[in-house]
Amino acid sequence: MATLLARTADRLYWGARYVERAEDTARIVRAYNDLVVDSPSHELLRWEPLAALTGSDLAIRIPESDPSGEVTVLGYLLSDRSNPASIPSSVDAARENLRTTREVMPREAWQAINQLSQYVDATAASAVQRQLRDRFLLRVVEISRRLDGILESTMTRSNEFRMLRLGRLVERADMTTRVLGVAAAGILQRESSDRDDLVHDQVRWMSVLRSVSALQMYQRTVRGPIDGIAVVRFLLSYPAFPRSVQGCLDDMRGVLLGLPTPQDVLAVLDRTESALARSDPDVTAGTELDRAMERVQTAIAELDRAIHDRYVASAR
Amino acid sequence: MAYGRARMDELLTDTGEPRAVAAALMSLIDSIGEDELRDRQKIAELDILTMGITFTIYSEGQNIDRAWPFDIIPRVIAGDEWDRITAGLQQRLWAINRFIDDLYNDQRVIADGVFPADLLEASVNFRPQCRGVRPKLGVWAHISGTDLVRDDDGQMYVLEDNLRVPSGVSYVIENRGVAKRAFAELFERQRIRPVDGYTDELNRLLTSLAPVGVDDPQLAVLTPGIFNSAYFEHSFLAERMGAELVEGADLVVGDDDCVYMKTIDGLERVDVIYRRIDDLFLDPEVFLPDSALGVPGLMRAWKAGNVGLANAPGAGVADDKVVYAWVPDLIRYYLGEEPLIPNVPTYRTMYDDERRFVIDNIGDLVIKPANESGGYGIVIGNRATRHELDAAVAAIEADPRNWVAQPILSLSTVPTLVDGGIRPRHVDLRPFVLTGTTSYVTPGGLTRVALPEGSLVVNSSQGGGSKDTWIIDGQYGTSGRTQSQQQMQGSAG
Repeated sequence: MATLLARTADRLYWGARYVERAEDTARIVRAYNDLVVDSPSHELLRWEPLAALTGSDLAIRIPESDPSGEVTVLGYLLSDRSNPASIPSSVDAARENLRTTREVMPREAWQAINQLSQYVDATAASAVQRQLRDRFLLRVVEISRRLDGILESTMTRSNEFRMLRLGRLVERADMTTRVLGVAAAGILQRESSDRDDLVHDQVRWMSVLRSVSALQMYQRTVRGPIDGIAVVRFLLSYPAFPRSVQGCLDDMRGVLLGLPTPQDVLAVLDRTESALARSDPDVTAGTELDRAMERVQTAIAELDRAIHDRYVASAR
Repeated sequence: MAYGRARMDELLTDTGEPRAVAAALMSLIDSIGEDELRDRQKIAELDILTMGITFTIYSEGQNIDRAWPFDIIPRVIAGDEWDRITAGLQQRLWAINRFIDDLYNDQRVIADGVFPADLLEASVNFRPQCRGVRPKLGVWAHISGTDLVRDDDGQMYVLEDNLRVPSGVSYVIENRGVAKRAFAELFERQRIRPVDGYTDELNRLLTSLAPVGVDDPQLAVLTPGIFNSAYFEHSFLAERMGAELVEGADLVVGDDDCVYMKTIDGLERVDVIYRRIDDLFLDPEVFLPDSALGVPGLMRAWKAGNVGLANAPGAGVADDKVVYAWVPDLIRYYLGEEPLIPNVPTYRTMYDDERRFVIDNIGDLVIKPANESGGYGIVIGNRATRHELDAAVAAIEADPRNWVAQPILSLSTVPTLVDGGIRPRHVDLRPFVLTGTTSYVTPGGLTRVALPEGSLVVNSSQGGGSKDTWIIDGQYGTSGRTQSQQQMQGSAG
C-alpha cells in the first residue's frame, strides 16, 4: 500500500530517532566506562564530559561525596526519567511514538520495542552499579540492533520503512557529531608534548572510536597508530563507514530518493554536506573542532526541519 | 475438594465431575497439577507483556497502559450448543437492524402499535439527523458485541446489545494465541473452532459498504486516539485488515463531499470508515460543535453516499436498556419468529405498575441506567446499602425513562486460577456479530471473569479478567461434520 499518513510518518521518524538515541547513549557510556577503567589510578577521570555529550551538563550538580561524578552522571543518564535525554526517557518516548504506529510495523518489531521497554523498566535503577552497568548497556544496544535487524529482514521497503530509516540516520549523524564535538575537541585543545599525555591521548582517541563502535573498522581502514586528525576524518568523512556522518548522509540520500517528491529535502541535504566538507580537519586544521561540529549539528537540525515540513506539515 | 461449590459451573457438574465437553481439559489440569498450571499461567502473562497486549484505564488523572488480565483456564462450550446460540444471535441482529432502519424511515413499528412513540421521543440515542437516510444494504448495526450470561437454570440469556462501538474482539484473538501456547496438547487432540477468521470477515463486511462503483475501497479505522481505553484494539484491527488507522485530524471532507486522509503525498480518498468514536463526537458540523475527535462534514459525505460508515450513526438507538425490553417483540414483529435466545426479564420503570414493583422489590433487583456502559451506575439490590437503595429509588422517580430493573442473575462460574488455588469465578460472554449481506458470529467470544470472590462485575476497567473461549466439536457436536469425521474424532478422543 502506498498510503502513509503524515501523522504516522512523523511518529515513525521520531520513534526511530528515540530508539537510536537510547542505543547511541548506551554505546557512548560504555566506551567512557572502558576509558575510566583504562586510566591510571593517579588520574581521577571525571564523568561530567559524558553529561555534556548528551546536552545534560547544565542540569546536574555533582556533590562532594561523589568527586568523580560517577554516581551522579550515570544515575542521570541511565535511570533518571526526569532527564529527557536519559536512556529510560528515550525508550519511553520511542515506545509512545511507535505504539501509535504498530499496525504498520512487523509484529516482531513491536515486540522488540516492548522487550526493550520492559528490560529498561526492570533494570535501569540498578544499572549504575559497576558490576551490572556494562551488561545493561550492552543489552540496550543489542535489543536496538535486533529491532533494526527485524525491520531490515522482514519489513517491506515502503515509505513507512523509509521514515524509520530516516529517523535512525538523522539521530546517528547527530550523535556522532556530538561525540566528536565534546570528547575530541577536549583532547585536541590540550596539545601537549608530554610523552605520557600522548599515550593517554591515544587511549582517549580509541575511546572516541569505541563510542561509535568504530575502533576495529578504523584500524582496518587507516592502519598505523591512532592519530587524532585521522580519527576525526574517519568519523566525519569516511563514507564507507556506516556510522560516519558522511556515511549517514549518503544513506539518507538513498532513502529520500525513494520517498515522494523529496527535492526540497535533498536541497537541504546538499547544504548539510557542504557544511560537513568545510569541517574537515584539514580545513579546520584540528582546531575549533567543537565549533565546526556545532555547524554540522545546526545543518542536521535544518535537515530535520526540512523533513518535517515536507512530509508532516505539507498535507495540512 | 477445595473448589468451592457453585450453583452453575460451566466446566463442572453439581457433583464436581467434569462436564463431557470439559473432560479433556480437566483431566489435563489434574495430571499436570497446580504448580505446572501456575508456571504456564506465568508464561502466558509474559507472552502478553512481550506481545504488548494492553488495555488503558483512566486512574488518578492518568491514562495507564496495563497488561491485559488473562486467566489460563478456558471456558469451553460444545459445538452443538454454540450453533443454537449463533442462530439466536443472527436472528436478533437481523430484527434489530430492521427496527433501526424502520425508525429512521417509515416508522411502521410505531404505526402498528408495537413500539411506543413516546419512547422514541425520549431516547437519547435517537439521531434526528439520520431521518430519511438509507444506508447501503439497509444495515445500521454492522458490528455488535452482545453480552450473554447463563443463569442457575442453565439457560443462556441476552443481557445487553452493544451496538455502538463494542470492544473486546481483539482480545478474543489474542487470548487464543496465548492459550494455544499454554495448552498446545489440547489443541492437537481436540477440534477447537479457530477465531482468527474475524478480521477477514470484518474486512469483507467493510468492503461491502464501499460507495457504489468503488471496487477496491480504501478502508480506515477511526480512533479517538492513544488515550482511548480500546486503542489497542483499534490498532490491532487496522493492522489485521491492512486498513489505515486514522484520527479525526488525519481526515478532511472536501468540497466534493468526499472524505480524504492527509498523507505524505497529499490527500487520498477514503471509502469506508470503521469508526470507533461515539456518534456525538463524529462530526462537529452536526453533533457536538466542539468535538476535536471528529471530522467536520463526515455526515454530509455519508448521506451523499460517498463514504461507508460502520456502525451507521444513530444505530445506538436500539442499544439502550429500555429498548432492550422490546427486542423479543421486535423479533416476532419483523421476522415472525419466536426469539431463540431469551431476554432477561426486564422491568420498565416508565410504566407505573412496573415501577411500583421495582421500588417495592428493590433489594432483590439489579437497577441499571438506560445509557451507561462499562458497568457504571449499576446498583445490585442485595449488595447495596440502605442509603444506596434510597438514592436509586430517588433517581428512578426523578427520571423513570432512564432506568430498568432485572432480577439478580446468578452468573455461571468457571474454575479460575487465583491466589490459593483453583476457584469458581463468575463469567459472562461477549460474542461479536457482523451483519451485512450475510451474518457472521465469532466462534465463542470474549469470556470476562470477575476475579474477586463472589463478584459479579466483569468489566476490565473494574478489576475483571478474561479467559479464552473454546467451542469444541467432535463427540460434543454434530454441526456440519460428515460421519467419518465424527468417527475419526471419536476414535482420536
